[in-house]
Amino acid sequence: MGRLLLINRLVTGDIKRHRGQSVLLLVMILATTTALSLGLALRHVSENPFARTRAATKGPDVVAQLGYAPGSARPSPKQFAPLLHAKGVSATAGPFPVAPASLTTKGISVPVQAEGRDSDASAVDQPVVTSGHWLSAGGVVLERGLADALGLHVGDPVHLGNLSPTVSGIAVSTQQPFYPAATPGLVWVTRADAQRLASAAAQPLGYLLDIKLAAGVSENAFYATVDAFGAATRGEPSLVEPWQQIRTSDYRVIGLDRKVLLFGSTLLSLLALASIAVLVTGRMSEQTRRVGLLKAVGATPSLVALVLLAENLALALVAAILGIVAGDLLTPVLASPGHGLLGNPNAPTLTVPAIAIVIVVAATVAAASTLSPAIRGARTSTLGALHNPANPPRRRARVIAISAALPVPLLLGLRLIARRTRRTVLTAASLMVAVAMVVAALTVQHDLHVTAQRHVAGSFFVATADTATANHVLVIISVMMVILAAGSTTFTAWATVIDAQRSTALARALGATPQQITAGLTTAQLLPGLAAAFMGIPVGLLLYQLAGGNLSEAHPPLLSLLAVIPGTLIAIALLTVVPARVGAQRSIADVLRVG
Amino acid sequence: MRQALELEKGTIMTADRPVLSASGLTKEYGQAAARVHAVKDVSLQVMRGESVAIVGQSGCGKSSLLYLLGGLERPTLGSLQLAGERLEDLSEARLARLRRRALGFVFQDFHLVEELTALENVELPALLAGASPRRARDRAHELLEQVGLSNRSTHLPSALSGGQRQRVAVARALANEPLVVLADEPTGNLDSAATTDVLRLFEQLHATGQTLVIVTHDERVAATADRLITMRDGEFVDETRLTGGVARTLSALTGLEA
Repeated sequence: MGRLLLINRLVTGDIKRHRGQSVLLLVMILATTTALSLGLALRHVSENPFARTRAATKGPDVVAQLGYAPGSARPSPKQFAPLLHAKGVSATAGPFPVAPASLTTKGISVPVQAEGRDSDASAVDQPVVTSGHWLSAGGVVLERGLADALGLHVGDPVHLGNLSPTVSGIAVSTQQPFYPAATPGLVWVTRADAQRLASAAAQPLGYLLDIKLAAGVSENAFYATVDAFGAATRGEPSLVEPWQQIRTSDYRVIGLDRKVLLFGSTLLSLLALASIAVLVTGRMSEQTRRVGLLKAVGATPSLVALVLLAENLALALVAAILGIVAGDLLTPVLASPGHGLLGNPNAPTLTVPAIAIVIVVAATVAAASTLSPAIRGARTSTLGALHNPANPPRRRARVIAISAALPVPLLLGLRLIARRTRRTVLTAASLMVAVAMVVAALTVQHDLHVTAQRHVAGSFFVATADTATANHVLVIISVMMVILAAGSTTFTAWATVIDAQRSTALARALGATPQQITAGLTTAQLLPGLAAAFMGIPVGLLLYQLAGGNLSEAHPPLLSLLAVIPGTLIAIALLTVVPARVGAQRSIADVLRVG
Repeated sequence: MRQALELEKGTIMTADRPVLSASGLTKEYGQAAARVHAVKDVSLQVMRGESVAIVGQSGCGKSSLLYLLGGLERPTLGSLQLAGERLEDLSEARLARLRRRALGFVFQDFHLVEELTALENVELPALLAGASPRRARDRAHELLEQVGLSNRSTHLPSALSGGQRQRVAVARALANEPLVVLADEPTGNLDSAATTDVLRLFEQLHATGQTLVIVTHDERVAATADRLITMRDGEFVDETRLTGGVARTLSALTGLEA
C-alpha cells in the first residue's frame, strides 16, 4: 500500500511539475490513437459496400428489363412469364412499370427512369430509405447517387415530366448501378404516376422484373433462363443483368473512393506509427535523466521502472480512450459513401479487435518510453544517468566540415540535424506523407475543376459525382494528416530544444546570439521539411495516379504544386519558432550549472 | 581582435583603467521566504593583464559571481562594465556579441561538444563570430600547439584525458583573443598531474598579458594570481595583492575573519 502511495505521489507530482510536457505528450498520443482508430475503422467500414447494400435491400440476383423502341411491339408484362416459372428462380418482384422522364431542378434537367412501385414492401429489391420515407401520393423517392449529384434533399420540390412532386425520400438499391455508374438515373414513383408519365411522354411503359435465384443454381440453369426470356421478347429491347455486372459498374465509380480510403487509412496508420517513434525517441533523453534523479533519492531500479511505467501508462490510456472516441465520431463523416451504396449502417465503426489494437499501441508507447530508460538507468550509475544523454549524439564529420563554411544559423541547424539523424529521418518521413496527401487532395480538386469546365450542364453531374466523394474523403484525411504532422513537428521541435539545450547554451556562452540559436533550431526542422516537401510532391501525384486518377488528363498547375514548398516551410517555421525561442532564452548559467 | 575592439570603442585599455568593473553586484534567487542571496553588493575592478583569483568554500557565491561577470546571468542589482560597455543596458543579442569578442570561458566540466574533435571545438567560437573557416582553422591549430595538444587535434573529447580536455577548453577560450578569460574551477575535476599542466598554462597566459579571472578553491591555482579575493556568503571578505601590490584586508573593514 505504501509503495502504491509512493508511486502515485511521484507520478502525480511529476505530471504536475511538467504540466506542459504532459499535455503535449497526451495530445500527441491522442492524435496518434485517433489517427490509428480512424484508419482501422475506415478499413472496416469501407469493406464490401455492395454486398452490404445488397443484403439490406434483399437485392435481386438477376434483373430483367423490357423496353420500347419506335417500330417495335408494345411491351407486355406477360412476356416475363418464362422467367417467373423458370428453373432455379426462387422469388420474383414485379414486373414494375417503368417510364422515361426528365427530372428538373435548379434549372438543370437530367434524364431518369421512373419506376412504378407499391407502397408495400417488396419481397425482392426493397430499396432502403436512408432519409425521408418510402412512397406516398405526390412524392418521389430518389436513388441516393442521383440525389447527391443534384444536391437534392427530402422536401425539395422537383419537376418530373408533367408532374411536380416533392422529394419524399432518398433510398439505395442494387437493382441497377447507382448514378452516375448507370444513366439515366433512377427514381421511384407510384404505379399510377409511372402511367401518367408514360402517357405524357406518349410512350408505352417498359417493365422490370427482379429475380431471386435459389441457392446453388448452376450457371447453365441461369443461361437457360436468359435464353427463355430472350425468345419471349420478340425483338423488343431487353436486358438481363446479373448482380455481378451491377456490382462491376458500381465499383467502377466507387473504386476511386475505395482506393483513396485504402491509401488514406494505410498512410494515416503509418504516419501514426512514425509519430509514435518520434515520440518515444524524443522522450528518451528526458526519461533517462529522471531515472537518475529517482535513483539519486534512493529508488530501486524496479521502483524506478514502475514509476515511469505508471506515469506513461496513465497518459497513454487516457489518450487511447479519447482517441478511440474521436476516431469513432469522425469515421461516419468519412465513411458515408455518398453514392448509392450503404456504408455500414448497423455495424459499429470500431470493432473490438480495432479497439484492442489502439490500446495495445498506446500501451506499447508507454512501455517503450519506459523500458529503454529504465534498463539504461538500472545499468548505469546514478551520475551517468543524470549527466549523460540517452543516446550519445552522432558525429558526422562531413556535415561538420561543410557547415563550418555556412552562416551561423545554418551551421547550428546542420550540426543539430547531424547529431540526431534517425529523428530527422522520421520527422522528414512523417512530413512527407502529410505533404503527399495535401498534393493528392489538390490534384483531385483540380481534376474536379477541369471536369466541371469540360462538361456541359446535365452530364456535368455524372463527372463530378465520380470524384466528389473521393475529394471529400481525401480532404478530411489530409486535414487529419496535417494535424498529426503538425503535432509531430511541434513535439520534435521541443525534443530537439531539450536535447540540444546544453550545446545551445554553450554556443551562447561562446558568443552565439539568441536569434542565431532560434534560427539554428528552426533550421534543424526546416531542412528535413524542405526535403519532405520536395519528395512529397511526386509522391502525392503518384498516390493520385495509384488511386485511379489520370495525370495525363489533369494535373495541377506547376505553380500551385511549387507553392506547397514555401507553404510547408512557413507552417514548420510557425510551429517551431515558439519552442525554439523558449529554448534560446533559457538561462545559460542554469543549463551549464546542471551540466 | 582585442585591438579592433579597443579602436571600435575608442577606449584604450591601459593598466590603470579597468577592463572589467562591477559595482554593487547583487544576485538573488527565489522569492519571499525561499529567497537566497547568492551575491551581495560586490564591487570589483579588473585591470588589463591582471590575474584575479576568487576563492571561497563551495556555495559561497563565487561561481554565481563569475557567471554575472561573464554576462551569462543578469544581476538583481548593481552595474557591470566590460570594455567600456554597461552590460545591464545591453540586449541579449548585443551581450552575446560582446561576449563573443571580449570574453573567453573555461568551465569546471570542460563543456566541450562531444561530437566535435579537439580542433573543431577550438575553432567553434571563431566560426560563431563569423570568421572564415580557414582563418578559424589556422587559429585553432595555433592554439592547440600553444597548449601542447597539436598531436591530439583530431581526437574526440571522449578520447582525451581530463587535463587534455581542460587544455582544449582553454584553447577554445582564447579563440577570439578575448580581453578577459573567466575560469570557473578550472582544476576542479582534474588529478594532481593534470592540475599542474593547467596551472602552467595559466601562468603562461598570464605572462603574455592575458587578463584572467579565476574562481577556485585550489590554493595552488590561487597562488598564481596577482590578486586574491576571498568570498563568504556571497560577499567579499578579504582581498590580497600577491605580487607587487599592498595587501589589503577587507576583514578589517567588515569585522569578519578571512
